[in-house]
Amino acid sequence: MRNPLATLSDDDRALLKARLRKPVLSFLALMGLLAVNVTLGATLPFEQVWTLELVVVAAMALVVLLVSMEVLHEPPLVKLFSGLGFFWVAIMVGMTLTDYLGR
Amino acid sequence: MSARLADGVGTERAHHFETVAQQRYAATLGIWAWLITELLLFAALFLVALIVRIQHPEATQEAARHLKFWIGAVNTVVLIVSSLTMSMAIEFSRLGWQRAMVRAMLATAALGSLFLVLKGYEYYADYTEHMMPFLGSRPYELAASPASRLFVNLYYVATLLHGLHLLTGISLLLGMTWMASKAGFLSRHQNWIEIYGLYWHFIDLIWIMAFPILYVVNR
Repeated sequence: MRNPLATLSDDDRALLKARLRKPVLSFLALMGLLAVNVTLGATLPFEQVWTLELVVVAAMALVVLLVSMEVLHEPPLVKLFSGLGFFWVAIMVGMTLTDYLGR
Repeated sequence: MSARLADGVGTERAHHFETVAQQRYAATLGIWAWLITELLLFAALFLVALIVRIQHPEATQEAARHLKFWIGAVNTVVLIVSSLTMSMAIEFSRLGWQRAMVRAMLATAALGSLFLVLKGYEYYADYTEHMMPFLGSRPYELAASPASRLFVNLYYVATLLHGLHLLTGISLLLGMTWMASKAGFLSRHQNWIEIYGLYWHFIDLIWIMAFPILYVVNR
């Protein structure tokens, strides 16, 4: 096992940079999207702002799922499993809200 | 699952699997099957929050104004940073950089603990502001708005359940860090770090949805 952090060679530094690129970019994307939502929540710029806030949440969830949880790089069956969970949630939310909003 | 493992890093095959690849695949599929059930549990709670908002908009907004918006926002930042440190731990494990991995795991546990401390402070502030309607011995601040109890009680159920998951996650993480600090761990159990990482990111994902649904959209 190597523990090279104390004395990183140029090769180690390049390897580290390549490996941490995606985690750092997804972190920055999540912080940016959170900043948008917090700003919208704190200022309430228009009446239906909640729709935009939920769109931002959906974008954040996609970043976590696809990049942080690496669903993009998983085999097809794992992709299907992760997608199925949200499909079931969509059925539950869709049918319930259809009832409540249609009354 | 990642194929980018350094030399000497890997998984020891259990006897009931034919190959290490099959073992890693089964572990990933297994944790996802469990995470789906967790997703459905939290999604039902969030759906009830939306229904309460639709049925009782004024009472929900009145109750939501008492939530500590900025503490919730800071806690979201804390969990997003912890997701970064967990991702770093996974990458370090793939590289075989054991000491760096252990430090990243400890940082993740520390950030999770910070989240719980801030959440505890938030509950204490709610207590002093009489925003705990389920406590029969204390008056409720919004007693004139009975429907607000629905939202406030739901807020406690959802956040306590998430906190319980986080507390479990921190305990598991500390136990695994202790095991992962021993020589030879990464040559036999590297995939444990990846599987656990999925659970940690999932806890983060749940809070990323809880914060806007409970704190932000009801303002």
